[in-house]
Amino acid sequence: MIGALQDYWANRGAVIMQPYHTELGAGTSNPATFLRVLDPTLKEWRAAYVEPVIRPTDGRYGENPFRFQHYFQYQVILKPAPDDVLDQYFGSLEALGIDLRKHDVRLVEDDWEQATLGAWGLGWEVWCDGMEVTQFTYFQQLGGIDLEVIPAEMTYGLERLALFLQGKQSVFDLEWAPGVSWGDVYRENERQWSRYNYEEAPVDVLQRRFDEHEAEAGELLDKGLPLPAYDQVLKSSHALNLLDARGAVSVTERAAYIGRVRKLARRFAQLYVGADGNAPD
Amino acid sequence: MATLLIEIGCEELPAAACREAGTQLPELCRRALGVDPTQILITSRRLAVLVDDIPEQTPDQWMKGPPVEMRDKAAAGFAKRHGVEVEELEERDGALGVEISGRALAEVLPEQVDALLRSLSFSKTMRWDDSGIRFPRPVRWTLAMVDSKRVVGERSYGHRFTSGPVEIPEASAYLDALRAADVEPDPAERRRQIVEALDAVGEWTDPNRVLEEVVYLVEKPIVIDGRFDERYLQLPSRVIETTIQHHIRAFPLGANRFAFVANGGDPETVRAGVENVVEGRLEDASFTFERDVKVGIDGLAERLGSITFFAGGGTYADKTARLGKLVEALGGGEAALEAARLAKADQASELVREFPELEGHVGGEYAKLAGYPEAVSAAIDEQYLPDAADAPLPQTQTGRVLSAADKIDTLNVSFELGHRPTGSRDPYGLRRAAIGLDRLATEGNLSIPRALLEGEVTEFVEERFEGLLDAPVEYVRAARRASVRDLGGVARLAQALATLPDERFAPIHTAYTRASRLAEKEEGAASELDPALLVDQPEVAVAQALERVDPQIAAALDAGDFGAAVESAAELGPLLDTFFEDVLVLAEDSAVRANRLRLLLNVRDTLGRLGELSQIPR
Repeated sequence: MIGALQDYWANRGAVIMQPYHTELGAGTSNPATFLRVLDPTLKEWRAAYVEPVIRPTDGRYGENPFRFQHYFQYQVILKPAPDDVLDQYFGSLEALGIDLRKHDVRLVEDDWEQATLGAWGLGWEVWCDGMEVTQFTYFQQLGGIDLEVIPAEMTYGLERLALFLQGKQSVFDLEWAPGVSWGDVYRENERQWSRYNYEEAPVDVLQRRFDEHEAEAGELLDKGLPLPAYDQVLKSSHALNLLDARGAVSVTERAAYIGRVRKLARRFAQLYVGADGNAPD
Repeated sequence: MATLLIEIGCEELPAAACREAGTQLPELCRRALGVDPTQILITSRRLAVLVDDIPEQTPDQWMKGPPVEMRDKAAAGFAKRHGVEVEELEERDGALGVEISGRALAEVLPEQVDALLRSLSFSKTMRWDDSGIRFPRPVRWTLAMVDSKRVVGERSYGHRFTSGPVEIPEASAYLDALRAADVEPDPAERRRQIVEALDAVGEWTDPNRVLEEVVYLVEKPIVIDGRFDERYLQLPSRVIETTIQHHIRAFPLGANRFAFVANGGDPETVRAGVENVVEGRLEDASFTFERDVKVGIDGLAERLGSITFFAGGGTYADKTARLGKLVEALGGGEAALEAARLAKADQASELVREFPELEGHVGGEYAKLAGYPEAVSAAIDEQYLPDAADAPLPQTQTGRVLSAADKIDTLNVSFELGHRPTGSRDPYGLRRAAIGLDRLATEGNLSIPRALLEGEVTEFVEERFEGLLDAPVEYVRAARRASVRDLGGVARLAQALATLPDERFAPIHTAYTRASRLAEKEEGAASELDPALLVDQPEVAVAQALERVDPQIAAALDAGDFGAAVESAAELGPLLDTFFEDVLVLAEDSAVRANRLRLLLNVRDTLGRLGELSQIPR
């Protein structure tokens, strides 16, 4: 399945990238999307890659067949969005062996917003016989900056898509490889990480780490090093997600933490586009 | 005469955008083309206008210029603006002007189509290229035809997967051409087809009102009925409904059946897929449900200390404690107190985290499963009612008490923290809560002591009566100043005053306004009435009557007997008339004068128990 998507998008000029090396809540945060989309000097960029996403609060100890703290997205970013972007996307479903005339395939309004990144866009969730298999977004703003060149982002939920393709009812039962199921590979992982995320992750250490990452990001931005600073923003964001899973932040505190990450993301974005407070024109 | 077609082709538009376009297109069409559209045809992928019998020439237009006597000064500029020589200007009704001849429809159409596209306004728009156009989703084609002539664009497009480019032979054949391409362009017809097909598969319901959205989610509706495993029927029914409606916009058919509206595909394949998705979602819900039930509602209630109600408003455990006190103050019995203790327990449940819109209902179901009596579980279930201006009130008395307690607490806490709604911003739904309280007090006949409303909350809640009651606002404003203990009393008093026949109201109103006007204008009223200083008969009569009437009015108001209160007040009318005729209030003797002013203030206060009657214009 991943191979088919890689071939399909590589044939359409996409650079095949790799997952990023720190925990991300979504493939959007991978610099291959976030930074390239934000860069006003880069007028064209096409990339595709698998991203393992880490969402501590979605863990269910490997007991719930639909919720995991770790799963896979397939991310495609096309900048600028080509006029036939939807046809290209539907072509990728056909490449996966989905007969578009046999199934009910639909675009259902679903707009996207990521508070911590100061980002939003309009788009859809794509349904295959009612199963949401992809999030499709035309980004409008990132890091609080209006984008000059509008890209299209397609985020395939690989497990969901596999459920659909394999006609299975539980992600654990998905065939990962002949004779090997998704559950064989990841169930124990879910058990242990859920325990870590919800019970064992050290709250005081995480709080300290958040502060440290935030401070380091700030210093790096001061020194004009946006790229290393960006990693620190991602790491502080992950520390916050873990604190959230540990139930260590109240609703108010959480809003304050999110505000801090957003502020960093905004500063980062402004430095990165070289605008220092002004959106590029 | 010709037939005109304009079609704007888009990527899938949200239903809301389709409706916004639908309401604007007739007017925009009139403005751009000067004609009423014959048909507005909208799907998620197209906004189309059909006009029968449109003149092929736009009408000649008389452009009125400056008055004749201004010829020297203004004619040249006017002529230049309209691209004619000064000599060509004609004179009509004392003004210069020029007749601009109409243009061929085909000639103006491109700019009109562009204008139409740009003048549609939507609540949420995006950019997708550098054209500068903002629209809810990208526009991918435009087509404008006059009869068989293509003026803008070449073709239309049919169903995304079962069809492709569609040649429209002539404008009037648009509907047929699209229908042949698996698209039903008319929303009313799609709606009819969906409803007809739903009727055919069973007793469908639409509790969350998704039908209007579904009409714009499909171009060619195919209704497919499906089933899920009966073991999921253990879930609270609204969890099932919400899953079916929210996640796949399908319609419950009762028990384990539902109907799904597809946009294409092989029905057997789609059915199997959709059933799989529904079971997956229900499995997910069952998983959380079973975990919650294992903890039980009492166990969940114990966890409330760690959940914030809202910033500065303490935890849900704090809120629970406050609810208990309020329920007691509202006269709630044992069942209501029990319900208050468990009311917020479902905030700790995983199911409510998944289905926030089912708060209350989930708690009610969990209370039932834990064996609590119906009065308790129903109250928990109904605590958020009425949740809209026209929504029903809780059915049970315990539910009404709990609902009032919850709203009072939310209002008191929010106002204390400075979250008073401003303009259209009301993130905590405080207006809705206030209106809910008012309705519980009036329609619900619940006795809600005004003293439970803290600070500005009283004013905020009672102001809502102005829009809710039949009585004119002045009567509501007057009644809000009355010494009525009960929130509902304010409303009933306003209505009693407003419906009082004039001959009974006039004497009270006159007495009140005369007494208060005079007494408030003059300074030096005595602090207490001294009976020894009452010298004239009329003032003695007023004083005696007051002593009798004042407690009567107070008692009648307390008992909610507004008729009796008004009756007692009316007795003062003629006595005051005589008083003002025969007694000189501003007497020479300053002690007598001070005493008389006090008497009038007492009259004002006694009648003022009925409210600030001067608010009512006469």
